[in-house]
Amino acid sequence: ATFPIQPVARFAGKSELVKRPKEFACFSYDADHKFHIGARSLKWYYTPELNVDLSKGFESFIKHDDSVDEHLDSLLTTIADHEQKTSKPIDAHIVTWRGMMTKIMAAPFDDDGFEMNATLYRGCIFIEEHHAYKKESRANERPWNGPIPQEVMQYWGYKFETLSTLPRPWGETSRDFIESRPDHVVNNKEQYCSVVRTGIGKTILCIGGEVDAIWDDKPRTQGDPINWVELKTSAVIQNDRQANNFERKLMKFWIQSFLLGVPKIIIGFRTQDGLLVETKEFRTMEIPLMVKKNGRPKWDGDTCVNFVNGFLEWLRHTITDEGVWRIKRRPRSAEIEVFKVEEVGHGDIITD
Amino acid sequence: MGIPAAFRWLSTKYPKIISPVVEDQPITMPDGTVIPVDCTKPNPNGEEFDNLYLDMNGIVHPCSHPEDRPAPKDEEEMMVEVFKYTDRVVSMVRPRKLLMIAVDGVAPRAKMNQQRSRRFRAAREAMEKEEDKQKFIELLKKQNGNKIQQEESVETVVKKAFDSNSITPGTPFMDILAASLKYWCSYKLNTDPAWANMKVIISDATVPGEGEHKIMEFVRSQRGSPNHDPNTRHVIYGLDADLIMLGLATHEPHFRVLREDVFAQDSRPRLCKICGQKGHDAMNCKGEAKEKNGEFDEKDAVVPLKPFIWLHVSILREYLAIELDVPGLPFQFNLERAIDDWVFMCFFVGNDFLPHLPALEIRENGIDTLTAIWKDNLPVMGGYLTKDGQADLERVQYIMAGLAKQEDAIFRRRKEAEDRREAGFKRRKLADEARQRRAQGSRQIRQAAENSGPPAGFSFHKINEFPGKVPQPSITHDMVVNRQAVDQANVANKSAASVLKDQLKSMVAQGTSTPETGAESAETPVETAAAPEAAATEEQAALPTALGKRKAELIEDAATGPEASSSEVTEVSENDAEPNDSVRLWEEGYADRYYEQKFKVDRKDIDFRHKVGRAYAEGLAWVLEYYFQGCPSWEWYYPYHYAPFAADFVDLGEMEIKFEKGRISRPFEQLMSVLPAASRHAIPEVFHPLMTEENSEIIDFYPEEFEIDLNGKKMAWQGVALLPFIDMPRLLSAMETKTHLLSPEDQLRNTPGKDFLLLSDSHPTLYEHITSQFYSKKQGATKFELDPTKSAGLSGSVEKIDGYVPHGSLVYPLSRASMPDVDYDRSLMVYYFFPDCSHTHKSMLLRGVQMPTPALTRSDIDILKGKASRSGRSYGGVPLSNKGY
Ligand SMILES: [Mg+2]
Repeated sequence: ATFPIQPVARFAGKSELVKRPKEFACFSYDADHKFHIGARSLKWYYTPELNVDLSKGFESFIKHDDSVDEHLDSLLTTIADHEQKTSKPIDAHIVTWRGMMTKIMAAPFDDDGFEMNATLYRGCIFIEEHHAYKKESRANERPWNGPIPQEVMQYWGYKFETLSTLPRPWGETSRDFIESRPDHVVNNKEQYCSVVRTGIGKTILCIGGEVDAIWDDKPRTQGDPINWVELKTSAVIQNDRQANNFERKLMKFWIQSFLLGVPKIIIGFRTQDGLLVETKEFRTMEIPLMVKKNGRPKWDGDTCVNFVNGFLEWLRHTITDEGVWRIKRRPRSAEIEVFKVEEVGHGDIITD
Repeated sequence: MGIPAAFRWLSTKYPKIISPVVEDQPITMPDGTVIPVDCTKPNPNGEEFDNLYLDMNGIVHPCSHPEDRPAPKDEEEMMVEVFKYTDRVVSMVRPRKLLMIAVDGVAPRAKMNQQRSRRFRAAREAMEKEEDKQKFIELLKKQNGNKIQQEESVETVVKKAFDSNSITPGTPFMDILAASLKYWCSYKLNTDPAWANMKVIISDATVPGEGEHKIMEFVRSQRGSPNHDPNTRHVIYGLDADLIMLGLATHEPHFRVLREDVFAQDSRPRLCKICGQKGHDAMNCKGEAKEKNGEFDEKDAVVPLKPFIWLHVSILREYLAIELDVPGLPFQFNLERAIDDWVFMCFFVGNDFLPHLPALEIRENGIDTLTAIWKDNLPVMGGYLTKDGQADLERVQYIMAGLAKQEDAIFRRRKEAEDRREAGFKRRKLADEARQRRAQGSRQIRQAAENSGPPAGFSFHKINEFPGKVPQPSITHDMVVNRQAVDQANVANKSAASVLKDQLKSMVAQGTSTPETGAESAETPVETAAAPEAAATEEQAALPTALGKRKAELIEDAATGPEASSSEVTEVSENDAEPNDSVRLWEEGYADRYYEQKFKVDRKDIDFRHKVGRAYAEGLAWVLEYYFQGCPSWEWYYPYHYAPFAADFVDLGEMEIKFEKGRISRPFEQLMSVLPAASRHAIPEVFHPLMTEENSEIIDFYPEEFEIDLNGKKMAWQGVALLPFIDMPRLLSAMETKTHLLSPEDQLRNTPGKDFLLLSDSHPTLYEHITSQFYSKKQGATKFELDPTKSAGLSGSVEKIDGYVPHGSLVYPLSRASMPDVDYDRSLMVYYFFPDCSHTHKSMLLRGVQMPTPALTRSDIDILKGKASRSGRSYGGVPLSNKGY
């Protein structure tokens, strides 16, 4: 079956009712990427020092090896733990990583292709990345010929996170620690992941995703809004082309934060050669409006929401029996295909 | 910082830090009803404020002995004044979130030494004043031929002044104050809709610590919490100039100090300090009965209120960002750190805990001198002098060395300037005298001819009252208390009291019939009245008695700014005999003489000087930590009466300073440490024998006679009171023998208390948050940590007050029912504890802080930059060579 993306105009207009995402569980990967239920890797945001070279320390980058398929394992373990603690199964129609939802939601304004695997289990659709596709498309990428190696540029983002976060609130952190952040080893094995329940239209979703930092402190009442902070880096904007690029980039930033209920995005602006020169705060909620106000908007938030709403409803009518399904969009394609790839079982998506 | 002239200096150098407060006034309707200010309306200053902190002693003092009206007749009247004043301040600021009222509790030992000196002096002056009054009354009787009617009125008119020494923790007065403040805040929470969302914290005198420092600790503790809003708008009310320093030290950029405008042209008639009447001042008081104002002596028409001013710490930060900018540093310039260093250097110029360095005078721009040394040395020092309240002594050594290089020149220049001023003054005086002689001659003739009354301010009697006689001046208070004479006498290190006695004796002996003597003395007030500073002089004279330090500061602020001391106006005494300064700082060998005369040590004992230098450096470290982190040691104090020279600081880098927290004094211990025997009424009777009986083992702590060393200054109250330091172990063991005799109430009064949190039951979340824990069916623990989302950002914990139940009745605590009881009290009161403060507070801006819109224009900046490159370099010596020291 296929779900047409185009014409996107049919998704325009006031967006479907979206429920505020509420965190109901969380887990952490420690510095060795070992899994733990709970918030041990939570980080607090604190203003980074400026004029720091984001490439600094690249040699000692402790990089997580993402060539291994992790499936939905840690998300499912966390959900299972939650169900056990509350002795109540979760009521979601869809369980997935935030990254999958982002790809779908961005499809109306984005050319990227993707492939995912999905399976129905106890009335709920579990969606994961089709790892083989990701590996393959990476291998097929055009060789990079920018002045700065791609790995280094990827490092910038992690470096910015290290520069901008603390393992404890500011009040409990020593000055020495704060001031030595430019020299800290960057390690992206460590992560904090929030597991939220949210709703788009009639579809209830359970989404897991990494959050970079918290602004103040977790509220004492579970489910109360959390002042999460999403950290991003972007090139300083000096011309129209860069402004356009930035606006396009904002869509992904917005979708990611929107899905987990992250209210604030802090963008570290860097020069072409990776010098951090400025930080700017954006309120997630205001980003679509900001873009709309521009002369020729590159994307529209309502359309994204309505699109994903339509797609998910369609998907729930499509995936109705067991087996493993593929959700696929070819690059620049005007449609998303969904077809069965395995007749029985749940593949590697769900392991008991 | 207790630097008297600091406030004046700051506002002259950085003019934009001050702006007037816009204030709505209650409206009086034609029928006499008063419509109070509606504080729920937007703040007329065009900006809203979140938190208001009251350094309450800055309200209690002026209310207990106001300048512009007679003192309240009793404690209840005083409390009503306190309520009025507080209400006015709160209405000005309209805090939307929090009001904190902090009364001074027991102070660190380092502060007690200063309090001791002040209170001993106050008591002595009070005694002298009392003696003066008695003499004055007697003389009046004699002169008026014992007219009975007159005599009575004199006695009733010359009231006994409130002993401001009662404003010390542990006195019954402070209990009354605490109860009154709690009542008043509850009353406001019940009646003022502007208080509905406000949290009120009351830290009364039972909670240890100076008021402003308790406030600072609160601010630091809130900053340490991740729920604190970095854009909180703070206002602190208080009189000390160092509130500005404290404001800077919080590193909260939205911070203001609020105070009365002491520079405002005061158009209201000043009232006599003695009889409380208008038309003359204390110097000219004749002790006459009050003339009735209308048939029933109704109150004077409304006196215009003294205006208030804002002191914008944020704008001072802007100025400092320019002033302290050092380009081309080998490390990253950090404004927050630079500001801390600047605040630290301000302590060198004066603070409440150390005598100030002889070379540094705020009026001689001592802060600029230090700033210049700092700027020149910063690149060489490799970093800042301070870090979150810790001094880097190796770097402090650079500053001291830089100052030492200029020290001789500073003393010489000071002397030259003084001599010039002196010469100018003498010249003018001669000219004035000549003019006056001419004028007086013709005036007397005219007076005799016209039979007219004296000009205002003159105290000559009408000539026809003395038929056939030369006009005889009536006695004025000032003739009795000729302060200049006192000051002169002090120079000779003679007790002021005994000098005064001599003086009085001779006056009485000569009799008031000696016209020349009388005329000459009477002339004095007339003459000084012509000088712009006359009013201040009068106040200075009366100063330490009733007013204490805060007043002293205001007055000095007002009277002797940089202009005042440098141009026409001069505080130099009129008498030709100058204080005989035998140290002569301007002549070679001054250090030898200084140590020999002040410290009584051999002039060859250089090690001793270095020891004093180290003790002083320790003191600077103590003050720094006190301001930035809270009291590092409750027992530490600087054990000398005098400061060392900059040159006496050597090898500071090798020092290691470590403070022990130490024991916090109990209120009665503080009272016994700071009060003289004459003020013992404020101390439980069981301790009195320790202060008065000859065989008391600590009688040496309470000398009645003590020396005041002017130490180069002009005014007695600027001098150094040479009191013995309290030996704490001895004091404690002596008190120990009596403690068991204390009454239960007294024992309670001697116990440390807790802070209170008050709020209205209409607070949208917090009331429910607390009462559901403490007063619902399923009660929780009696103490819990507040949820900042429910307390609108306030962190800390609360504890249930034993026996307290909400929605009871609110009872007015004083006897005369000046304010009503409230049957159904809608306020709630709990104990409040600051959040855990065990972490070092960092001098940093918080994430998310939005800086206020800059107030300085390009031209302000250019002007300041131009000055900054030259300032502080008038004595040579800077810059230091790159080799350093
Ligand atoms: Mg105080």
